[in-house]
This record gives sequence, structure tokens and C-alpha cells, in this order.
Amino acid sequence: MTYRAPHEQEAGERAWEIIRAAYETREPVAWPRRHARPLVAGALVAAVIAAALSPPGRSVVRSFRKAVGVERPEPALFSIPTPGQLLVTSRQGAWLVRADGSKRLLGRYRDANFSPHALYIAAVRTNELVALDTKGNVRWTLARPNPRFPTWTGTRTDTRIAYISGGRLRVVAGDGTGDQAVAPAASVGPAWRPGRGRVLAYSSGGRAIVLDVDSGAVLLRTPRGPTPTKLAWSDDGRRLLVFSPTRLRVYDGRGRVVLADDPSDATADSDAIFAPATHRLVVTRVHGSQSDVLTGESGQLLFRGTGVFRQVSYSPNGRWLLVSWPTANQWVFVRATPRKIVGASRIAVQFGGFPRVSGWCCAP
Amino acid sequence: MAGSGRDERAWVRRAQAGSASDFEALFRAHWGPAYRAAYLVVRDAAAAEDIAQEAFLAAVRALDRFDRRRPFGPWLHRIVVNRAIDWARARALRPEAEAVDVPAAEPPERDDELLRELDRLSPEHRAVIVLRYLLDYTPGEIAELLELPRGTVNSRLRRGLDNLKDRLR
Repeated sequence: MTYRAPHEQEAGERAWEIIRAAYETREPVAWPRRHARPLVAGALVAAVIAAALSPPGRSVVRSFRKAVGVERPEPALFSIPTPGQLLVTSRQGAWLVRADGSKRLLGRYRDANFSPHALYIAAVRTNELVALDTKGNVRWTLARPNPRFPTWTGTRTDTRIAYISGGRLRVVAGDGTGDQAVAPAASVGPAWRPGRGRVLAYSSGGRAIVLDVDSGAVLLRTPRGPTPTKLAWSDDGRRLLVFSPTRLRVYDGRGRVVLADDPSDATADSDAIFAPATHRLVVTRVHGSQSDVLTGESGQLLFRGTGVFRQVSYSPNGRWLLVSWPTANQWVFVRATPRKIVGASRIAVQFGGFPRVSGWCCAP
Repeated sequence: MAGSGRDERAWVRRAQAGSASDFEALFRAHWGPAYRAAYLVVRDAAAAEDIAQEAFLAAVRALDRFDRRRPFGPWLHRIVVNRAIDWARARALRPEAEAVDVPAAEPPERDDELLRELDRLSPEHRAVIVLRYLLDYTPGEIAELLELPRGTVNSRLRRGLDNLKDRLR
């Protein structure tokens, strides 16, 4: 057949540049074998939820949690094994957790994010973006429809908050002035590039777009794919993670794919994060009834458990990982070297729902 | 055109050993059919480009583990067509997603009546017709590629062709 599709040749040339770069930079990646279909993971989650919803099933869930958690966990979150403070959000609102285990409920906020030096917090509630201090005192508010994913960047004297509202990416100064819509955007947390300038990654139309907010110049537009659930930069701003459960890409500054993985046939990833001050990636992978925390490049297994790991977070000093494990109702702190594991139980009841970590920042 | 089976095995072997020129030969031989297959299922040039590109990136990742005794084309086309069907289904479920800031689909350069009518078929019917009549797979091979019973493939082909025939009358 002699039929040629529109733009076949130009598309091929564009694709070849990316594919050639991937070929030239490839390293045999030892991702662990995937043994079961994502459906199995989904079925497990559904089964756990169904059990939890039925009062007679709660005792089953409790015994299941006991069976799947780490051995001899602390019965509550008495402390965090490393300096810094955690900002988390649950059904009850936003919480600040200090290293000594003390917790402060900041209010009924849906998403929250530290300011660059963790002196303030940007948070959202229904139709309002709010700036708070760390005691929960409101400094200013800005009414906008259904704001989500506030993300703060800048220096001590000049900061900006990016957020999503009404299907658009918006940016406002740290004092609540000069709010403006920047671009149409998907409901995915934008990510400021660390370092100089105000450069922001956001998602739109299944792509990640890197934008210089001051000049309006688009610096990078990735190929279209599934809408990412997370965008993140390495600490030096030279690598961009575009993450979805079935597709993971890491781009360099020129838009070349330096790491790719498509866990589509038998697994799904629940989270990924750069290790502080490196380009090393850590991934949480759900396969069948089991979840792993792995290093992205070498596939080195850091931690394994039954059920679903929802999230992984790095401590500010890069020595500890916090694995959020709702199936076991535990937070597990993992240190790779020297190896140490510290578990804390009954997390959901302490936060009014199993919380999501929004930030883990420097000690005040 | 795709190379002969012997060429292809040699390209794969040398590409596995690190020969960029052989990997490029493999790419050049298969880009056209992969892109066309994706385009004919999704009817969106940008999506087809992404789907075919992603399939090749998957090929790069799996290259070292690829069994050279097996042909490369069917393996690649399986990824392409399955992703294209997924994409087309997703678009059918959420047509509003395209309205955000995605450019409109490019008008085909050869928008003849047959292609327009192909558009009216479901992604599943389109896929089997593309595999059969564009990529020249047998119904048995299509059944294996899409993991479908052979009878399902035959019935999709028959229904797809009947629909096209009715509309083109």
C-alpha cells in the first residue's frame, strides 16, 4: 500500500532525535520482573476499601494491617528520626509535624506547601488561596475558584506562588498581590525549577511544559502522553521528572529523555522522587499484592511490603525516606546506610485520615 | 519498507551490540508503518507521532532483552495498535479534554472517502482493518497481536468491511 499518513516524514525526523538520544544514553535497566497485572493491584486496593467500609470487616482490616506492617512499629508517631518538619494534608486539614512528634492542625486546608524557607505556608480551601504562618495565623487570602496545588518559590525578599484555578495556571506574588493567569493547565501540581529565574513546569494537554514566567518563553514542551500526576525537578534544576502511574520520563535541560519507564503490562508506579542534591530517582512500584521502593536507574530494592505504598518522601538531609503505607496504616522511615527502619502505626487516626506529605523541610 | 527477515535480525543483533547505524536502519524501516497504523486508528497526527515514538522508546528499553529469533515488526505494531486503541477510546470518553489547549487535529493530506468512512468505525474495528489491509497481517497474526480469539478478529473484519461497504455505496 502506498498510503502515507500526514506529516509522516517530519514526525519521523522529530521522533528520531528523541529515540536516537534514548538509544545513545541507554543503559541496561534492571527493573524487577513484573509478575502480575495492574488489575490485581487495583483489585487488592478495592478489596481493602470494601472491607474497610463494612463494620464487620474492620476487624479483618485491623488484623490485615498488623500482618502487613513492619515488625515492632511504634504505636504512634512519637518522633521523626531526623531533623526537619513535615507538612501533611489529610481529610481533616493541613498539619505541621515537628521532629519531636508534636503536631499542629493548621486548619481545614486541602493542599499546602512551604515557602522557600519554611517560614510560611501556602494553602487552599474552597475558593480561597491562603498564606499562613507556621502557627496557622492567616496572613492574607485571595478568592479564586477551586484553587489547587499551591507551590512557592523565591528568595527571602521576592517570592511567587503558582497554583491551578479554573483550568488555568496562575501566579501571585508572595504578599498576595499581582495575581495573574499564565496559561491553560491541567489539574496537576506545577513545579518551580530550583535556582535562578522564575521557571515553572506545568501540565497541559498531556504534555509537560516548561515556561519562563517572566518572559513568557516556553523552554520545553514534552511529547504528549498520559496526563502526568506529578512534576518535579532535581535540586540543581537540570532534570525534570514527568510522572504518571503508567509512564515515567526524566528529561534533561535540552528535552532529551534520560530515563524512561512504562510499567504498563503488569505493574503501576505510585510515586517517584529525586534524591536530594542528586539525579538519582527513587520509585514506589505496586505489583500484584506487593509494593517496592526502588532506585530508578539500577532497580536496587530499598524496601518491600505487602499492599500499596502510596508515596515516598526524602528527608531534607537526604538520609531518610518516608514511605507512606496506607494498607498497613503506617509511616515507615527507611535509612539505607547504615540500614535502619523505624515504623509508626495508627497514622490515619492521628491525622483524621491517612495523610499525604506535602513538604519536608529544613528545621526552623 | 521493512527489511527482509535476515536484514532485520542483523540490525537487531548489531543494535544490541551498540551500532547506532543499525538501530537507525531498524527505525527507518519501521517508522512509516508504525506511524501510519497509529494515525489510521487515532486520526490525529500529533497523537500518532507520540504513540509511535513511545513504542520505539519502549523498543530501546527492551532492546537488550529482545529475542532475535522473533520478528521485530509484529512486536512493535502490537504496542502501537494497542496504545492507539487506548488513546482513541480515551478520547471518545472525554472529548472535552481536547478543548483545553491542544491544537486541532491536522486535516489529512489525502482525505478521501474511504478514510473518512474509516473514521466512523470503532477504534477496535479500525485497528483490525489497519492491521489486515495496511500492514498485511493475517487474521491469525492479528488475533495473536491483539490477544483476541480468531473468531473475534474475523467478525470485526467482516463487520468493519460491511460498514464501509454500506457507507461507500
